[in-house]
Amino acid sequence: MKQRFRQSMSWLHTWGGLWFTWILFAIFLTGTLGVFDDPISHWMREQGKIGDIKPLTAEQRAESVKVAQHYLAGKAPRAEFWGIGLPDEAQAALRVFWREQEESPFEQRLLDPANGRESGASQRDTEGGHHFVHMHFELHAGTAGIWIVGAATVAMLVALVSGIVVHKKIFTDFFTFRPRKGQRSWLDGHNALGVLTLPFLFMISYTGLIIFWALYMPAGIMARHDGDEESFFAALNEGPAPRPMQHIDALLHELSPLMLRGEAAIEREASFVVVEHVGDRSASVRIFGRFDPDAESDRLVGRSSGNALFDAINGETIDVQKPNTVRGGNVLAIQRTMNALHFVRFGGYPMKWLYFICGMAGTAMLATGAILFMVKRRKKSADEFGTATPRVYRLIEVLNVTAIAGLSLACIAYFWINRLLPLDIADRAVREIQLFFILWLLTLLHAGLRPPMRAWIEQLAVSAALCLGLPLINLLTTGDWLFSALARGDSETAGVELTAMVFGLIFMAILRHLRQRQPNQQNREKSLATAIEGA
Amino acid sequence: MSPHPTQTRPRLALISRIVAALIGGYALASVFSIFLSHLLPSELPEAVLGATLFSFAIYTAAIIWVFAAASAARAWLGLLIPGALMGLLSCAMQFAGSAT
Repeated sequence: MKQRFRQSMSWLHTWGGLWFTWILFAIFLTGTLGVFDDPISHWMREQGKIGDIKPLTAEQRAESVKVAQHYLAGKAPRAEFWGIGLPDEAQAALRVFWREQEESPFEQRLLDPANGRESGASQRDTEGGHHFVHMHFELHAGTAGIWIVGAATVAMLVALVSGIVVHKKIFTDFFTFRPRKGQRSWLDGHNALGVLTLPFLFMISYTGLIIFWALYMPAGIMARHDGDEESFFAALNEGPAPRPMQHIDALLHELSPLMLRGEAAIEREASFVVVEHVGDRSASVRIFGRFDPDAESDRLVGRSSGNALFDAINGETIDVQKPNTVRGGNVLAIQRTMNALHFVRFGGYPMKWLYFICGMAGTAMLATGAILFMVKRRKKSADEFGTATPRVYRLIEVLNVTAIAGLSLACIAYFWINRLLPLDIADRAVREIQLFFILWLLTLLHAGLRPPMRAWIEQLAVSAALCLGLPLINLLTTGDWLFSALARGDSETAGVELTAMVFGLIFMAILRHLRQRQPNQQNREKSLATAIEGA
Repeated sequence: MSPHPTQTRPRLALISRIVAALIGGYALASVFSIFLSHLLPSELPEAVLGATLFSFAIYTAAIIWVFAAASAARAWLGLLIPGALMGLLSCAMQFAGSAT
């Protein structure tokens, strides 16, 4: 009975793991890079060189909101949603967002806060580190992407549980590593990495699902609250009642005086303004206070940064939540804690590094698992797919190379794209991400055309070169370089480049290892190639 | 059971298990979240949230069960019986709640 259970779990771990491993690798790698999305954005926008942007005065903030309102009224006078992101020390531009309908995608523009002109070339227009975060939770594919990531996360939980069942000697496994023993070494590495990071992996997977709990598991809200999410969340968050559309045209109030009243009410500087149902009688405007990371770094249950809600037609105050307060009951506090755990909103840089290391260990665990599957079968085909087996193995090998080496290449190339793409092209931020995906697609093509071991070596070699050359390309394109960043104490810029170089060295070490093993590998490839041709 | 069920287990039984895991497991987790929300002592929105937080563990456990069960039919029964039971009890509690 026990033996049979272990066997079925071994089967589930192997196959469930395999079919989800590539997407999970992408989620883990980009999520781990996303831990440092702010320093990456800092590097990409050359903020270290520009220096800190001077904070705006209250009058300048009010003027910016006025400029944004004028722009948005011309662009989207009946939008379901407007968002105005005020300039801050990280970004000098005024950011405006809008969405025509609830289902339509968000539009975004950067404006000059003084005159409202679209400011393409004045600052490097880039998604920065946010690109990795978006890739991580929605694969840049909106709600469909969120669902795919959710399914993969459930598969991750299943793989973790079945993996524990399979490894009966979990603690001995952790202390066992037999290097240079081929398949044994891959297995030992996979086990050690998995066991080492097991609590982290459970935590990060489960809390990841919890962020989108209402999307993934809406049954409770449907059955117990008639599926009315708006009023459900108003009750859960102890906020004001939702304001449904009235379909009566009404003129929007001036937003800048409301912003100033909001700042006075919450006694904090505003950072973001949201207008909903523009042009309708039900329109409302919410002023959000600026987030204070230092005040929150030792807390797991995040507190409000303060916000004030006004009727956007007559300007009446609807609701004010002061900064540093918490609304909602204990269960909501649990959910918020889980969010904070996932987003590593606590503990400052030491905790971020711990997450980064655990995340990379998890990423490496996924890679070793995928590689182990093929290493086992290169030696001796398990013949799972009958006559199609060699072709399926080839497909798995190609996907392994593309998902692991190819995505690593595309991720570091994204930094190069940021530096090499001209500053004045239209939709520059979008182009950067498109080039990232085009490069990733090219690595798939490359992996499909080259013999497996050559594909691994070539893609890893390019990744290593791009990682090690990052300070150089920055120097050549912007005139800023590592030593000046270090000299001015710009740890974010220097940190990005030094970390990239560490990855470059890791890739070099892997390459050295692969080159040593290559001779007998090529023989095996030949036999695999003949097997494929024969099939 | 063989260590490589794809070889020996009929393909249909494997597909049946995969459907049971993905859809049956999800349905069981959904019913569980409704059922538990009736039992939790919190106010309604919090009870629903709390129950749903647990339901992802149930989904994971259901998938494990489906592949551990001796046969596809047993796997389905193991989902359907607790699912139907929790569904019926939830309906009864909903009815009792709205009657008072």
